[in-house]
Amino acid sequence: MKIIVDRQRCDGNGVCMGIAPEVFDVDDDLYLHIAENIPEDPELRARVRQSITSCPILALKLVED
Amino acid sequence: MGEMTNQIVVAGGSLAGHSAVAELIGLVPDADIVWVTGERHRAYSKPALSKEFMQARNEIAELMLPGIECDLDRLRIVSRSCASLDSQAQAVELDDGERVAFDQLLIATGARARMPGILQGVRGVFPLRTLDDAVAIRESLAGKPKVVVIGGGLIGCEIAASMRTLGLEVTLIEQLDSLLDRPFGGAFGSYFLDLHRDNGVKLIMGGKVDRLTVDNGRVAGVELADGSRIGAQLVVVGAGSEPCTQWLDGSGLDVENGVVCDAYLATSRRGIFAAGDVARWTNPVYGIQMRVEHWTNASAQGRAAARNMAAAFSDRQELLKPFADVPYFWSDQYGQKIQMVGWHQGHDHVDLDRSGDAPGPLARFYRDGRLVAAAGINVPRIVMKLRRQIEEEARTLQAA
Ligand SMILES: Cc1cc2nc3c(=O)[nH]c(=O)nc-3n(C[C@H](O)[C@H](O)[C@H](O)COP(=O)(O)OP(=O)(O)OC[C@H]3O[C@@H](n4cnc5c(N)ncnc54)[C@H](O)[C@@H]3O)c2cc1C
Ligand code: SF4
Repeated sequence: MKIIVDRQRCDGNGVCMGIAPEVFDVDDDLYLHIAENIPEDPELRARVRQSITSCPILALKLVED
Repeated sequence: MGEMTNQIVVAGGSLAGHSAVAELIGLVPDADIVWVTGERHRAYSKPALSKEFMQARNEIAELMLPGIECDLDRLRIVSRSCASLDSQAQAVELDDGERVAFDQLLIATGARARMPGILQGVRGVFPLRTLDDAVAIRESLAGKPKVVVIGGGLIGCEIAASMRTLGLEVTLIEQLDSLLDRPFGGAFGSYFLDLHRDNGVKLIMGGKVDRLTVDNGRVAGVELADGSRIGAQLVVVGAGSEPCTQWLDGSGLDVENGVVCDAYLATSRRGIFAAGDVARWTNPVYGIQMRVEHWTNASAQGRAAARNMAAAFSDRQELLKPFADVPYFWSDQYGQKIQMVGWHQGHDHVDLDRSGDAPGPLARFYRDGRLVAAAGINVPRIVMKLRRQIEEEARTLQAA
């Protein structure tokens, strides 16, 4: 699983972090960090997909399932 | 169940409706779905309307929610509105007279901007709720108008910030003595006043709008109860919103400041559910009824209601789950990221933390010693940690 973020658009509001904090982390400079390796856990991966569709700015993209 | 195809109607073409339809497509492959959107646009994202879109930092195409991929025979998208509900016969009537029968209905008709009578019907005066509102406001910016914003809530403050960011002259009128009083439970009162003043907004606190002055059908200014007058070529109204439930009058459904639901987002009538800004449900995290008007709530409730609907008619009990959630929203003003988690209404104690290494202030709200909400400015990690803490404390309480 691989996710990319459009840096021009992401405004650091943390919606993704609220849903899957294991994978998304917005730091205090409002910069989004995305975990490199996402565990095979189906429950976590479902939440990651949910984060992608929940981003209000539509800045996240799943590039590899 | 039997051989007959189940028909599901989803009313409302915005976020809650969109996330429900997307989820239902996958969950109930044998049902027909009629999505009555009430929209001439495809589903779009609203938060940017007062922020990036208003500042011309993004365009309409970038607001559109992803298209829903499915067999078109199964999904019918209708750009009309529901005019009434017959909950006995299980049918909705559309505004063109068509009757659509359903086995299950999701009410996701959201909310609309409240527009006080004295502010209606004058050119140059706008609410901000829809894409069309936002486009109309943007189009009226060309002549560099003097702007008056009425209301110091989330929408009003975000509009004021966007207009200042564009370099326009802005006066904001609020009838209370503080800004963002309701969403942030009175915390950060002076912070918000300073933020807007430092960025050049002229604030009129405790101001009561008496009437508009009009010149040739166009707005020319705003008159206050104390007799003062502020010139304006553009007035944007942020006077709050009200749930879109008029079409449910006479349906027998329990409606009281929103559609009343249980913890499963089910209404008082079998087969009828609600989600998003229109729904007032019992949140197990707090054990009370609430209506939450924020982005993540509408998206998560749309999905949760879809699963509970699927559980009900396909006998897949494993899908059935109460919607227990710690509400969350953010606001963006002058690049400051303001976040709130939880439900502060009814709190009896606030801890304000401006010290430490935190780059912004942080507030913790308690009720009977229990953490119920938290808000912070530019401290996303701490706020999200507190969200999890609220969740865990609720779970422990429920278990006890
Ligand atoms: C300018 C603005 C900025 C915002 N910023 C933020 C933010 O920063 N953070 C945040 O968390 N939230 C924000 N929100 C709130 C968030 O956008 C809403 O919570 C969300 O849109 C709710 O989605 P919904 O689908 O429940 O309802 P709505 O978006 O209100 O949509 C209701 C839908 O129902 C349709 N409808 C209405 N009546 C009928 C009918 N009779 N028949 C059929 N269809 C009907 C409408 O056409 C519409 O498609 C903002 C809202 C606005 C307006
Ligand atoms: S939800 Fe979207 S905009 Fe918000 S932090 Fe995540 S990627 Fe960025």
